Amino acid sequence: ESDLDVTPQDDDELLADGFFETEGAYKQALAGVYANLSLTSINDPGGSNIAGLDAGTGQYIRGLFNLENLSTDEVIWTYENDPGLRGMQRNTWSSDNPLILGVFARASYEIALANEFLRQTTSEKLSSRGVSGTLVGDIQVYRAEARVLRALANYHLLDMFGKAPFVTENDDVGFDQVPEIVGADLFTYIETELTEALPDLVAARQNEYARVDQGVANMLLAKLYLNAEVYTGTARYADCIEVCETLIGSGYSLTPNYLFNFMADNNSNGAQNEIIFPITNDGANTQNFGGTTIIIQGEVGIPENNGESLGVNPGGFGGLFRVRPEFARLFTENPLYQSDARNTLITQDRPIEIDNIGNTAQGYLITKFSNRTSTGGFGSDRTFTDTDYPLFRYADVLLMYAEAVLRGGGGSESLALEYVNDLRERAFGDTSGNITQAQLTLDFILDERSRELYWESHRRQDLIRFGLYTGSSYLWSYKGGPQSGTAIPDFRKLFPVPNQSLSSNSNLTQNTGY
Amino acid sequence: QSTVSGTVVDATGQMPIPGVNVLVEGTTNGTTTDFDGNYTLSGVNEGATISFSYLGFRTQTIPFTGQSNLDVTLTEDAAELDAVVVVGYGTTTKKDLTGSVSLVGEKDFNKGNNVTAENLLNGRVAGLTINTGGSPGASSEIRIRGGASLNASNSPLIVIDGLPINNVASGGRSVLSSINPADIESFSVLKDASAAAIYGNRGANGVIIITTKKGKQGLKVNFDSQASVARLTDKIDIFNANDYRSLINERFPDQTGFLGNANTDWQDAIYQDAFSSQHNLSVSGNIADILPTRLSVSRADQEGLRKTSSFERTTTSLSLNPRFFDGALKIDFNANLSWERNRFAPGVEGSAFQFNPTQPIYDPNSRYGGYYEYTNENGLALGNVPRNPVAQLMQTQDIASVRRYYGNFKVDYKLPFYEPLRAVVNLGIDNSESDRFFEIDRNSALGTNALEGEELGVRSDTDFKSSNRLLDAYLVHTKAFGDFNTEITAGYSYQIFENENFTTGNVRDPNAAPPELTLDPDVVLLAYFARGNFNYKQKYFLSASIRRDGTSRFGEDERFGYFPAISGAWQLSDEDFLKDSNTVSLLKLRAGYGITGQQDIGSAYDYLARYGLGNTISQYQFGDQFYTIGQPFYRNAGIKWEEITEYNLGLDYGFLNGKLSGSLDFFRKESDDLLSQAPVPDGVNFSNQGFQNIGKFTTQGIEFVVDYNLASNEDFNWNVNYNVTYIDREIDRLAFGQDILVQGIAGGTGNTIQVQRQGFAPNSFFVYRQLYDTAGQPIEGAYVDVNGDGILNDDDKYIAGNGRADVTMGFQSSMNYKNWDFSFNMRASFGNDIYNNVNSGNAQYGNVFRTVLNNVPTQVLESDFVNTPDVILSDYYLEDADFLRMDNITLGYTFDEDKIGKGSLRLWTGVQNVFVITDYSGLDPEITNNGVDNTIFPRGRTFLFGLNYGF
Repeated sequence: ESDLDVTPQDDDELLADGFFETEGAYKQALAGVYANLSLTSINDPGGSNIAGLDAGTGQYIRGLFNLENLSTDEVIWTYENDPGLRGMQRNTWSSDNPLILGVFARASYEIALANEFLRQTTSEKLSSRGVSGTLVGDIQVYRAEARVLRALANYHLLDMFGKAPFVTENDDVGFDQVPEIVGADLFTYIETELTEALPDLVAARQNEYARVDQGVANMLLAKLYLNAEVYTGTARYADCIEVCETLIGSGYSLTPNYLFNFMADNNSNGAQNEIIFPITNDGANTQNFGGTTIIIQGEVGIPENNGESLGVNPGGFGGLFRVRPEFARLFTENPLYQSDARNTLITQDRPIEIDNIGNTAQGYLITKFSNRTSTGGFGSDRTFTDTDYPLFRYADVLLMYAEAVLRGGGGSESLALEYVNDLRERAFGDTSGNITQAQLTLDFILDERSRELYWESHRRQDLIRFGLYTGSSYLWSYKGGPQSGTAIPDFRKLFPVPNQSLSSNSNLTQNTGY
Repeated sequence: QSTVSGTVVDATGQMPIPGVNVLVEGTTNGTTTDFDGNYTLSGVNEGATISFSYLGFRTQTIPFTGQSNLDVTLTEDAAELDAVVVVGYGTTTKKDLTGSVSLVGEKDFNKGNNVTAENLLNGRVAGLTINTGGSPGASSEIRIRGGASLNASNSPLIVIDGLPINNVASGGRSVLSSINPADIESFSVLKDASAAAIYGNRGANGVIIITTKKGKQGLKVNFDSQASVARLTDKIDIFNANDYRSLINERFPDQTGFLGNANTDWQDAIYQDAFSSQHNLSVSGNIADILPTRLSVSRADQEGLRKTSSFERTTTSLSLNPRFFDGALKIDFNANLSWERNRFAPGVEGSAFQFNPTQPIYDPNSRYGGYYEYTNENGLALGNVPRNPVAQLMQTQDIASVRRYYGNFKVDYKLPFYEPLRAVVNLGIDNSESDRFFEIDRNSALGTNALEGEELGVRSDTDFKSSNRLLDAYLVHTKAFGDFNTEITAGYSYQIFENENFTTGNVRDPNAAPPELTLDPDVVLLAYFARGNFNYKQKYFLSASIRRDGTSRFGEDERFGYFPAISGAWQLSDEDFLKDSNTVSLLKLRAGYGITGQQDIGSAYDYLARYGLGNTISQYQFGDQFYTIGQPFYRNAGIKWEEITEYNLGLDYGFLNGKLSGSLDFFRKESDDLLSQAPVPDGVNFSNQGFQNIGKFTTQGIEFVVDYNLASNEDFNWNVNYNVTYIDREIDRLAFGQDILVQGIAGGTGNTIQVQRQGFAPNSFFVYRQLYDTAGQPIEGAYVDVNGDGILNDDDKYIAGNGRADVTMGFQSSMNYKNWDFSFNMRASFGNDIYNNVNSGNAQYGNVFRTVLNNVPTQVLESDFVNTPDVILSDYYLEDADFLRMDNITLGYTFDEDKIGKGSLRLWTGVQNVFVITDYSGLDPEITNNGVDNTIFPRGRTFLFGLNYGF
């Protein structure tokens, strides 16, 4: 009967204790926690370690993009027969929407991976496995990084769902129906985690490329504080300013060419000084159907077949994305923006309005993200892109600072103007686009954020903070369903907890309105 | 006491019958006839009764009055009550059966072009459905009583000569494709749990036991040969070139520039008339009067309707069955070797019906091997457009060569010192190796980076090895106590499965994953089992069995389970009040109860805390370096087998001296602890779904079989057989009561069309309810707002039928008049729906122009729909798929022996897939895929001619 005790034989499948026998395993496991932000499975881009939706659609960044960008005025998806897309981009989603399920599950999976890493690296575990020397110290840093990644996932859940399943390394792996943690409690938990992790992290810009450092933790804190009023009802703009100041003093710099941030070599072309936290992608080694792959392949226009200029195959993925007219007008209404480097619109032979979502020839295209390098070369593959996704960028810090100042958090108004004009000067190549103190208003900030940060998964959060996401004060094409746009109720500021997640954990409660 | 001897012969041929059981009734004193039909029985008391029984013959009982010589002639028994039925770990007779078991012997096999074994059975057994694909040597979806699981396997366990085979096709066309059907003697289909429970946690979906042919007395040579040609019967209705031109001129006047000058029927271009042949040669005899031997060789060549597809198989089979010590020691050795060469043709049906019919197949200026492809201004193939389907077929070589050997060695020894006891040891092995070669030509538009002008093609190799080894050892104790007969079997079984898979990946793609060898963890199954069969006066029967079964797929606390079964039967017709009735010749009541299990799940070893190392294409970058990632796998320490409890109530009947016979069975099956892909609380495990023992569903049904000998005399015989099965399936409980969306469809990424929901049948269609205008025309995108909230979203979908039939029927007729024989069989299916995904995903005007012009099904003329996304989930595309199919019709003539010298010769001709009557608008109403029709490999109509020669 002992024959029934079989063990995995494949060299790629190990029992947990066997895996951690090698010293390199700790960094591989840490890479596993990071990789979930980019990969959908350990095997190939067609596989997924979460279920309920297509593998690529369930990728972390693609989910974030769908909920934060596609549900707003910045972008529209051509193929509404893909499940969940119609509900997402017309703001009529139900709690069965697979895109929402994907985000909730993918972020929760990130928490589970971080917890597992913390469980496997306790000092008891390390000493029982005889881990010693510098590795022990390295692992302390890894642990702090894992905590920040866990906080990042919790932050995404807070932002989109207002709550999260409260699960830490002290919970067992299995089927426990853990309690939920909501609103202000979740906010405080994330804040505490980040604050505690900070001292163990490497200083900003001093860690290996793509690993978490103090800059990433501070950036997360800044985002939390900027949106604190939405999350908890209590404004924290002063705290936001303080953290932004720390970040501004950390040595980040704007890369001279705006578009370098979104190119195949953005890990080395200078953009690495601006990108605070990249989610890496690589055509040969980090293949997935989300992230910049879907964005760049989806930017390709039909009938333009302009994929070659974006470093992918001519037809890309068949014209997935166009921008909605309201976003396009941020660049087209004022001729000033014709010389804005951030204006990547393709308008030729295209109507700005989209009468028929399925008609790929309507609506403007953009070419912001590219699989070409800063020197004109190509990424390593024409399907899977090399471009890293800039989850957090220094430009956002400057805009957050300015906004927090305008919202009365203190700080310096003149510095705020200077920072905004830094971005404008980079965009226009000179001071022709600079604004005055009087022009620096909250309304300006909202538009400028979209011009600077479009398709970087900020738009929904921004519109909510400005009170424009729900209701009828701002209607964009297909908001609420019809082309002319219609009001959507306030409860849609939060996404519903997916039915599947509710059913498997009775401690989770549904958000109001769903 | 005295000794009696004699010879047993059969009534029709006066040929000796070996292996006849000769028994002094009420004792254990008995023997069997040797290969010349001779027997000697000693220690017989005067006044005793001697019975002579043999498979398929009426048992004779003769009072012993001191004769020293007693020759016996046995006549064939129509009702075959004494027919030997192979059950798990032993045999029984039809009369002794208490469970629901169907026996199909060679004479009942389906005729025609049956390349795979299961097609010999199709339509013959109530409760057994077999759905075979249209490709050559295609695999079949086999279901006994509808299967028992939602997410785990629904395929029955298949046992060949005592060796349970692996449920993995391993590079061949199917698990049964390497078996030569002509080597099969009989099938036993164990349908209910009381019969299948002896196979423990593998019996959940029923068991099909295949017994191969053995050597017999007297040299016999048989040669069968047949040739056939199959033709396409139907095509998808699309616009022909001229109608297409009109359509474009009328509706898409801006795009007429995309029209070409050719008139191409792309569907005709991808299909061919398919020629096939099969040849079998077998020799059997008794070498040196001690070694009964059968040797067979066979060859099958089959082309597929889809061009380039083919199936070739060569098999050899050797069976040695020596008997020693007056039959006390029986040795059976079976060895089978088979070579299969499959060429798979890519599924190009979709490209064929989409490709612009005004464009040519060939283009002399094409850089793509002379095939027409859509190109850009640089002459390079466009992306996101259909590819020339003929080029896809011709430029792809996808060839799998499979070598398989399987067989068993069985020793059955009646212990000399204690006669009632037999010891049986069975060793089995089943090894298969396949090499699959895949290449797309360098000049194909489908090649790696072809869109960038590179000429790489695609090239990969996949080698698959599987091994399955078995040891069974058991004791059988047979003893009678007066009128009380007992047989007790107890034993042990051990089986180990090993798989390894090597794939090179696409070696022409610089960014593809490197070659990878995957070793599956071994699966070890071991079991202890015991069974008792008891009867009193051959009238009251009781059978009880129990098996303790362990699997390495589950953790230490859950891996063992007990699977009991009990069943009984009452032979009413042997009671005094019916014994002498000729009207009622057989009446037997059966009742059974049993528990079986299921452990065959996709993801074994979820109970272990495992880490996986990532592939090279799934690394993560830190600094300048890429790291192989390590991630934990989903974990379920408590995973265990599914438990299926089944009740069966049956009645076997025979009237008019057996002319009219059959059976009626009622069953109820409760599948509990279903291994479902069920949701997991988020964040506490390493996926949001995984296999868990949650869920329950119930299957209830009725099976009715009637067999009628309409005529039976020297010149004219006519037998008809009809069976009908009604099955009702319902999900009682799912994890957390949560719907599970299943069954992906084409047209959109990740769309599903079915749902598992409590209170409904598994895989129910989940769709929007279409609204129609007053003229009865569907209104595009308009659906019933089921919950009335003013928003049309997922909450407005409803359940509309399912793809499984409620009622299935089989009907066979076979007759012979003098030297002529004529037979046909038909099947029917009612209550099944099909979602026509060919129409739902394509028959909309919006699909006509997508980068280039595409063809669409003419169904669009009816619906007038434009936007696929608006209509794809409409119940408008659900269709009634009831059908009646004539599978086969055969006419043969057997020459009189004196006309051809020696031996017998039969010539025959037939048609397979004669007709289908159905309202379904697609190609064929009989599909797998849970009732979603997204193009199929079509089944042709086959015309056959063959001969059998034997001496």
